[in-house]
Parts: sequence; C-alpha cells; structure tokens
Amino acid sequence: MKRLFIAAFSAGLAVVAVAATFWPLPQHLRYRSLITVPPDGGRQEDFVIRWPEDRIARPGEDPAALPGAAAVGAAVLEDSAGQRASAELFRIRDTEDNVIGVASRVAGAGGAISDRGRSDSNWLLVIPSRGALFLAQSDVLDSTVRERVSADRTVAVPPAQSATFWTDGPRFRVTANLPTPAGSRSTGRVLRGTSEFAGLKGSFTETWNLEEVNADGSTRGRIVLSTFTAGAN
Amino acid sequence: MRLAIIVLGFVLGILAGAGLLLLNPLAFMGGLSPLPADIAPAKAYRWDAYRGIGTGVADLVGFGAPDRKVALKAPALAHVRIGIIVLPAGEGTPAALAVKVSTLSGENSLWRARLGTDDTWSILWPGEGSAFAASYSNFWTLVRDTFFATARGGGRDLLAPQYAVSAPPPVDDPTGVTGASGRYAGFTGEIRDFFYPGDPNPDWALAIKMNPPPVSTR
Repeated sequence: MKRLFIAAFSAGLAVVAVAATFWPLPQHLRYRSLITVPPDGGRQEDFVIRWPEDRIARPGEDPAALPGAAAVGAAVLEDSAGQRASAELFRIRDTEDNVIGVASRVAGAGGAISDRGRSDSNWLLVIPSRGALFLAQSDVLDSTVRERVSADRTVAVPPAQSATFWTDGPRFRVTANLPTPAGSRSTGRVLRGTSEFAGLKGSFTETWNLEEVNADGSTRGRIVLSTFTAGAN
Repeated sequence: MRLAIIVLGFVLGILAGAGLLLLNPLAFMGGLSPLPADIAPAKAYRWDAYRGIGTGVADLVGFGAPDRKVALKAPALAHVRIGIIVLPAGEGTPAALAVKVSTLSGENSLWRARLGTDDTWSILWPGEGSAFAASYSNFWTLVRDTFFATARGGGRDLLAPQYAVSAPPPVDDPTGVTGASGRYAGFTGEIRDFFYPGDPNPDWALAIKMNPPPVSTR
C-alpha cells in the first residue's frame, strides 16, 4: 500500500512537471507587418482606424443609444479654468484592414500644454504581438473631445464625427507643422517604442478622412497614422 | 481501497507539485526597489471599467472562457486589457486622465516564475503636461498566495493587503517614463504599480517619479 501511494504521488508530481513544461501559455496572434522602405531609408508603416466602428465602448455602454455624433468610450476631464483633457480608445488596423491592436488618443488643451485654440495629443499604439509605440504631436486645432450636456445625459462629441466640421473638404491633417529655416517639419514625433519597436524614433502624421455623412449629421471615416521611423543612433 | 490510495496519492502529488512550482525561489528576487514615497507618492486608482481580459489566474494562464460582456472581439486582442483611468489629485499635482493597456507577456514561463503583463500608460495632467510609461508586472506572488490561501480553505482575507507587481522586464526591453508635452516634455523617470486584492473589485495604485532632462552647458 505504501509503495502504491508513493507511485501515485510521484505520478502527480510528474503530471505537474509535464504540465509546467508543455502548457501552452497564451501567445498573441500576429499578422504580417506591412512596412515599406522609402527611397531615402527608414521605414514607413500606416495604421488605420475607422470611426465610429473602431471605437472601444466601455462595459455596458450601448452605441445605439447615443446620438450619431457622440463617441462611445470617450472620457473628458475639464477644470474650471477650461483646461481640458480627453481620452478615446480604438482598435487599430493595418492597411489590409486586419485588426492588429489597440490605440488611445489622449489630448489636452490649455495651460502649459498648448496655445489657445489648439491642443497637443498623444497616441499610444499597442500591437500585442509586436510592442507599443508612443507618439506625440501638436494639433492644428483643438482636437479634444467636448462634453455636450442635455436634459437627460452627457455625451462626448469628437470634432470629426459631426458633419459641421467638414466644410473644407473630405481630408484634414491634424498634425501641425513646425516652421524651420529649411521649410516646415511635422510636430508629430515617435518618442519611443517597446519590444520590436524599441530603439525606433522618427515622425508621424495624423490625417482624418471623411467617407460618409449620415442623415442625422454624424459621419463615418478613417484616421490614418503614418509613421516614419529609423533606429536611433 | 487500492483505488482510493491511488487517487489520494495522485491528488496529493499534484498539490505538492503545484506548491513546489509556485514556491520557485526566482519569485522572491524579482521585484523592483520601491520609489521614495515623498517624491513619488502612490496614487490609488480603480480599473473596473475595462475591456478585455481580467486579472485572474485563468486569464494569465489562458484557460477558461473570456467574459463576453467585456471581451475585445478580435483574435489579435484576445489577451489585451484596456481602460480609461482617472488618477486622483494631490501631492501638488492635479487629477490626471490616463489610459492603461496591459497585454499578456510573451515571455511568461511557469518554470521561471513569470506570469505577467506588459503595461503601457498614456497620462495627461490637464493644463500641466503629459507622459507615456511602460512597465512589466509579474503576478506570480499573487498567484502563489491565492493557491496557498485556497489550499488552507480561506479566501482573499488570507492574501497580503498589497502586492508590488512591478518587476524587471524578462527581456532587455526599455521600461520607464517618457515625458511627452507641456512641463513634462523631455522628462524621464520610473513607474511602480501596486495591486490591492479586494472583493469584489481590486484596487490599484501608481507611483511615478519623473526627472527633468539634464541641463547641457556650452
């Protein structure tokens, strides 16, 4: 009996050892990276977000219950001096329309962050199988999400989701330029990255592309983040 | 009688094996030193309104079905957790709006006492400035304590009140804080995350230490 118990006990130990060795811990699904190499070197990669469908709603939030121009999942923090911050969450796609990761757009206006009528915004791109990219820029306008208060609720309204924003055509570059003696230069900076993106620095531009105006005054479109990076020396 | 002894021995062997595995000495030397509380006070935050995976053992190890109400419905996002967080004001800084994204680390290993997430933050203090941060959180100690608390027939009351989950990354991956705009442009620093097991929802706390860029003289 004693030998039988020891054999069974050893078998239990062996099962744990085998499980710890061969248990398939979760791995992230990876899509092929769609990177192009410009003639003057570096690497270019575009990331695409479709609004409103790529917005990530908070638990329990029902997009159908909101006005068409309102954003799900967005949050706004504003003080009495009008200094405002907003955060939006998205799924991001590659140029072949595969959902490859998540992104956040955190924008701030006022105080030490930006000039009057403008904002600075930060994009955090996380592609689980590859790492994260940190992007920061000055915007040509105040791109923070506003809160619209009505009798029964408060909704977050991002500029691009209202038809009234699109008076000058269906394409709008959000990233401001920095005037330099040799011409203008994008304020969009790739500050750094993690994992596969570690050691990369460079620039980026954010462009909003209108695709459709709905009857209720809301819009559909694409945000394109074009990154140009190279290894930091 | 023979069958009962076989089953008893086998179950006890599994429990003993799991206990030995969880008592991996590597887990006792994996933490990061705390930041000075007077310079980097820990700010409590809640992360209940998230989308994606939870913080349980099943989510870390990859068994069990995801919660359909909060799951991110894309295959590439099966092991991601994302949410908007408000960091409270205090200690000379205003309240901040932040986004935290956690992804299961691809370097997790049961033999190396690693069950963790790669965490990234985007934080903005209205009117002040903004910063990004990257860190690695290892929940091995929490998993170990949960196992032994369950084995003793207890619950969360047998766990430690606080777990400093920030740990050195398994591979040589850059972590830390990167200032982005406003007063924090160019700043660099460190970050520490704390987990407080609670019932039904856990609490978290974040400590950030940021330094201005070095002054260069001609």
